[in-house]
Amino acid sequence: MKPQLAFDVGGTFTDFVLQDQQGRLHAMKRLTTYPDPTEACLAGLDELVAQTGVGWEELDRAVHGTTLGSNLVIERKAEGVALATTEGFRDVLAIGRQKRYQLYDLQIDKPRPLIDRTWIWEVPERVRADGSVWRPLDEAAARRAVAAMRERGVRSLAVSFLHSYANPAHERRFAELVAELAPGIELSLSSEVSPQFREYERTSTTVVNAYLIPAVREYLARLGEVLRRRGFQGGFWVMQSGGGLAAASTMARFPVRMIESGPAAGALIAARYGQLCGQPDLVAFDMGGTTAKLCLVTEGRPQTVDTFELHRVRLAPGSGIPMNVRSLDLVEIGAGGGSIARPELGTIQVGPDSAGSSPGPACYGRGGREPTVTDANLLLGYLDPQTFAGGGLRLDPEAARRAVGERVAAPLGLSLEEAAWGIHAMVNLNMELATRVVSIERGHDPRRLALVATGGCGPAHAVRLARALGIGTVLVPAAAGVASAIGLLAAEVRFEFSLSRLTAFDRISEAECEAIYAGMEREAKALLGQSPAAFVREVDLRYAGQGYELTVPYRHARSAFAELYARRYGMASPTEALEATTWRLAAVLGTPTVELPELPPGEGCPPRQRRAWFPELGGWADCKVHRREALVPGQRLDGPVVVEELHSTTVLPPGATAVVDRHGTLVVEPGSDR
Amino acid sequence: MKPDPLTLGVVWGALQSICVEIGSTVQRTAYSIQAREGQDFSVAVFDAQGRMTAQGPYSPGHMGAMSFAVRNFLEAFPPEHLRPGDVLLLNDPQLGSGHFPDFLVMQPWFDRGVLAGFGVNLVHHTDVGGARPGSQAVEGIFDWHQEGLRIPPIKIVDEGHENEAALAIIAANSRVPVNVLGDLRSQRASLRVGERRLAELRRRLGADAVEACQEEILAQTELRVRERIAAIPDGSYPFTDHMDDYGTGTPPLRIQVRVEVAGDRIRIDFGGTDPQTPSGLNSYFNYTRSYVYAAVKCLTDPYGPMNAGALRPIEITAPEGCFLNPRPPAGGGPRAAICTRIFEVVLGALAPAVPEVVTAANSHFCNATFGAWDPVTQRRFVGYELIHGGTGARAGRDGCEAISSPYNAANIPVEAEEAAVPVLVERFCFIPDSGGRGRFRGALGIRRDVRILAEDIKFTNLSERQRFPPFGVMGGEPGRRGRTVVNPGTPGEREIGGKASVDLQYGDVVSFQLAGGGGYGDPAERDPGLIEEDLRLGLITRWEP
Repeated sequence: MKPQLAFDVGGTFTDFVLQDQQGRLHAMKRLTTYPDPTEACLAGLDELVAQTGVGWEELDRAVHGTTLGSNLVIERKAEGVALATTEGFRDVLAIGRQKRYQLYDLQIDKPRPLIDRTWIWEVPERVRADGSVWRPLDEAAARRAVAAMRERGVRSLAVSFLHSYANPAHERRFAELVAELAPGIELSLSSEVSPQFREYERTSTTVVNAYLIPAVREYLARLGEVLRRRGFQGGFWVMQSGGGLAAASTMARFPVRMIESGPAAGALIAARYGQLCGQPDLVAFDMGGTTAKLCLVTEGRPQTVDTFELHRVRLAPGSGIPMNVRSLDLVEIGAGGGSIARPELGTIQVGPDSAGSSPGPACYGRGGREPTVTDANLLLGYLDPQTFAGGGLRLDPEAARRAVGERVAAPLGLSLEEAAWGIHAMVNLNMELATRVVSIERGHDPRRLALVATGGCGPAHAVRLARALGIGTVLVPAAAGVASAIGLLAAEVRFEFSLSRLTAFDRISEAECEAIYAGMEREAKALLGQSPAAFVREVDLRYAGQGYELTVPYRHARSAFAELYARRYGMASPTEALEATTWRLAAVLGTPTVELPELPPGEGCPPRQRRAWFPELGGWADCKVHRREALVPGQRLDGPVVVEELHSTTVLPPGATAVVDRHGTLVVEPGSDR
Repeated sequence: MKPDPLTLGVVWGALQSICVEIGSTVQRTAYSIQAREGQDFSVAVFDAQGRMTAQGPYSPGHMGAMSFAVRNFLEAFPPEHLRPGDVLLLNDPQLGSGHFPDFLVMQPWFDRGVLAGFGVNLVHHTDVGGARPGSQAVEGIFDWHQEGLRIPPIKIVDEGHENEAALAIIAANSRVPVNVLGDLRSQRASLRVGERRLAELRRRLGADAVEACQEEILAQTELRVRERIAAIPDGSYPFTDHMDDYGTGTPPLRIQVRVEVAGDRIRIDFGGTDPQTPSGLNSYFNYTRSYVYAAVKCLTDPYGPMNAGALRPIEITAPEGCFLNPRPPAGGGPRAAICTRIFEVVLGALAPAVPEVVTAANSHFCNATFGAWDPVTQRRFVGYELIHGGTGARAGRDGCEAISSPYNAANIPVEAEEAAVPVLVERFCFIPDSGGRGRFRGALGIRRDVRILAEDIKFTNLSERQRFPPFGVMGGEPGRRGRTVVNPGTPGEREIGGKASVDLQYGDVVSFQLAGGGGYGDPAERDPGLIEEDLRLGLITRWEP
C-alpha cells in the first residue's frame, strides 16, 4: 500500500501518524507551538518521516485535523471582519432568536456577537421570499458602503441579505462591487456558505466563515507550501466537522465547515474500535491536554447534527453561536491534563482554563506555576517522570509538588496526596456531568454503553469515569494517545453541496430533478477539480406548510420520508402534499480504510513495580507497571495496574480487570469503587 | 425502597429528554409560524396519578395551567375510562390556560396495557374564530362567546379512531383550518413519540423503579424549594402596578399584590386588584397562577426540576371577579398581555427581600394579529407577530438584551414570516436610548416595522407599557415607553393604542416600538466605562448625569 500521513493539532499536543508500505502505524506526539502551530507540525513531520525512512515523494496523502477554527472564534482575536446586511437589519446578530436558554435564571446573558455594531453596514436593497426584487440594489449607496469598509480597514466581509437563498443576485452584485473597489477584501456570501432560510442562523454561519477565512487561508497555504518544498506530491486533505475530508484548497473558502475538525476524528476512530470489539453503542471519550470531548455513537455511527453551536454557556442548547454546519454531536468541556486547579469555597475547582502547552503544567518545567491535572496524576504515581511522552518530555515532580502544595493543599489544609487526589476526582466529576449530557439526556442509559477512551489523558481517567456512571466496559485502544490522528486516516473523503429551491415535490418531474442534480455535479467537479468516485443525492422534504425538513435519499424519497417521519415524529400523514426545500449532493472521492494492525503473539514480560496512590487501599500501595508494547493478546491484568505507552498512560484502579484483545485494545471491566 | 442516586439521575434525565423530544417534534412538524418558529407551546409529563413530574424548556406560563387542566381532563374522563390510543382535547379558558387559541392535548400513556402516565402539550393555534382574526381582540368583546369556538374536554381520538365530527367542527370554525388541523396533528404525533420513550424507559429500568424515582423527584424538589423559600427573610411585601388600559379610551387597570413569606411557605394574594373587565383582557386564574409559579421558581430554585413538588409550597389567591380571577364567561383571548405584569409585580414585591436576584421590569412584548385577503394567492390568511424586547436591569449587570421574558418563546424569523404571510418586514432593530438608566441599564426596546401587502386588513394590536413605563428598582429609572405607530415618517403617521382594533389598507406599515427595560440602582453610580461602550456602539446617543 502507499504510505500516508496524518497530523492533528490539539490545544496542547500535536499528534502524528505515518502508515508505511507494510501498513504499520508509526506515531509521535509533540507540544503544540504558539502562536504558530505549524512549527510543531513541521518539526514533528520531519522527525517522523526521517525515523520511518519513508521518502516525502512516496507519500500518497497528508490528512490534517485542526482546532484552529474553534480557537479563532473562542479567542475572538480576528480583526477587520465586517458584515453587510439589508437596510433595517443591522442588529440581526445581536437580536438572535431571543429564546431563553435557561428558563428560570434571571441572571443569564447572551454571548457577545463576533462582530459589533460598528462593523456592520446596511445596504439599501430588498428581495422577497419568492425571489422577486422589491427594491433594487442601490449601487451608489453600495459603493459608498464599500468605500467606507475599505477606509475602516475591513479584511474579510460577510454579505448576508434577506432571502438571498431564493435569489442571490444582490449578494453577487455587491460582491462584484467589492472586488472592483476593494479587491483586498475576502468575501463570504450567505447564498454560498449556507443557502438556507432563517436570516439569523444563515448570517451567523456566514459571519463565522468570514471570521475564519484570513487566518485559515494563510495557514493552509503555508502548510501546503512547506510540504511541497519537502518533496511531497500527494493530496493535502483537511477534516471537516461532519467527519468527512475535503481538499485544503476547498476548505480555505468554506472554513466554517472545519470549525470542529480535530474532535470529529477522535469519535470516528472510537466508533471503529467499538465495532472491532462488538460494541456498536458507546460514548467516545477523548481527553487531551486542554479539553475533553464526548460523543454518542449508536449502531457504529457517531451522531451528527445539522446545526452546530460554539461557545455554549454551561452547555445549554441555544446559548452559543449557531452555524448551519453538519457536525458530530459533541459535547466539549474544559477538562484536560492542563486544566488548572484552585481552591474555591473550601472545595477544589478544576478548569475550565488550561495551562495549555505553554507554559503547560508545572511539572513540564517550562515556567508553569499553576497546579494542573497532569501535576496531580504525576504526584499520585500514575505517570512516570522519566518516560512521559516517550521520554520526550522529562517531568519535574518537585515543580508539581510545589504547585499543588502551595496553591491547593496549603490553602485547604490538605496533605499533598489528598490535594492531588482531590484534583483527579474533581476533573472526573466534571466529565461525569458531561457524559450524562451525551448519554442520559439523549435518552441512553450509560449502563448499556461502552466507553472508548482516547487522547493523551483519556486512559488515565476512563475507568473511574465509567464506574461513576455504571458503564460496564471500557475500551482503551492501542495508541490511544494518538487515536484521532489515526481517525483522520480512516475518514471518507466527502464534500457536500446544497441548493435551496422550494418546490412542490408532487409536481416536479424527474427531468427537472435530474437537471438540478446535474447542475450541482458540474459545480462539484469545478470546485473539487476532479471527478468524484460517487455522488450521493439527497433531498430535504416536509409537508407543505411546515417549517422543518427531513433529509432523505433522493431515490425512493417519498417512502423513505414517510418511514423516517413516522419513526421520528410518531405518525406520518401520507395524504398531505410534500414540499422539497433543499437539494443535497455529496461528492465522495473515496473511502480509504486504515487497517488496524494486529498484535503479534508473544511471551509478554514481567511488570515493574512502583508506588501509587489509591484511596481504596488507604493511600500509597504497590502497583504493577506494564509496558503497553510488551502486552500480548489474551493477557489479563488485575488492578491496581498502570500501563504505560508512548503517548498515554492507562490507570486500572483496584477492582478493575482488563484483557488484551488481538488488536492490542485493553478491554476493561471497571469494577466498582466499593 | 429508596431509589439509588444513579437510577434517580437516569429517570430524571430521561423524563426531561422525553419533554424535549416531544417539544422538538412539535416544533419540527407544526404548520403555523408561532408554533414552529416562535415555539409558542409547552410540554409536560405527568405520572399515572396526574402529577406533573417534568416540564420541557418552553413557555413556563402554560405550566401551572397544565396541572389544573390534567385534573379537569380526569374529572371528565376518569382513568378507568381511558384506553390505549385515546387522545383528549380541551380549550375551555377556565379549565385550560385562559383562552380559546390554546389547545391542550393529553394522551394517557400505556405500557403493556397499564396506565403509565400522561403526556400533555399545549399549542397556541393561529385562529379559532371569533370577532377578529387571531381570536385575541380586546375591544368589542364582552364575553367569551365573541372569541371563537369553545371546546370542553372531549376525546379527539378514541382508541385510535379520529373523532371526525369534532375535527370537522374545529376546521369549520377557524379562518385558517389548514394551520389548525396541521398543528393538532403535530400535537398528537409528538405525544406518541413520548409514549414510546416512556415505555422504553420502564422496560429498561422496571416500572416500579421508574415510579419510585418519580415519587422521589417530587419529594426532593419540594424539599429544596421549601429550603430556598426559608432563606428569604420572613415578611409581608406589597407591590402595585398598572396595566395601560383595556382598549382605546378606557382607564388603567390596577394590579395589587401582597407576598407573604413565613418560614418555608409563601403566599401570594392579589386582593385590591381591579375587577374583571367587559373586554377580552382578563386572566383566568390558571393563567395567573402559572406566572406566579414562574416568578417564585426564578427567585428560589432556577435550576431545580419544575414539577408538582415545586408548586406545593406556594399558595396563590385572588378575589373571585377580579381581572386576574374572572368569572366565566368573561373574555380572555388577549390575556398574554397580562402575563408579564403578573410576573413582574411578584418580583417588584420581593425586591427589598432578595435584591440580588430580582430584575427591574422588562420591555413588554407585542403579540398583534391580523387577518386579510392576499391578492396574490387569492386566499384569506391570519398573520401573527411575536415581538420580544429585553429584560430589566439586575443587581450586577445590565438587562439582558433581546431575550424573551418571562414566557419563553423565540422570535419569528423575517424570512419565515414573509414566506408564510404577505408582509414585508422593513426594519428589526434596537431603539437607542430606550433602556431605563441606572447603575445598571435596562435592555433596549426593539422596533419591528411590518408592511402588510394585503387588502381589507383587520388588525388587532396587543401591546403594553405605552402609558406606564417598565419600572426601575433600587433607585433605577423606568425604561422608555413603547408605541405603536401606523405609517411612521409619512404625512399619514398616527399612533394607535396597545389594545386597538383597526382596519388597515394595502401597503400600510405598522411600527411596533417596544418599551425599554427598567434600570437598577442610582444612575450616578454607573461605571463610566459602560457609558463609553454604550456610546461607542450607539446603544445610547447621549448621557446626561
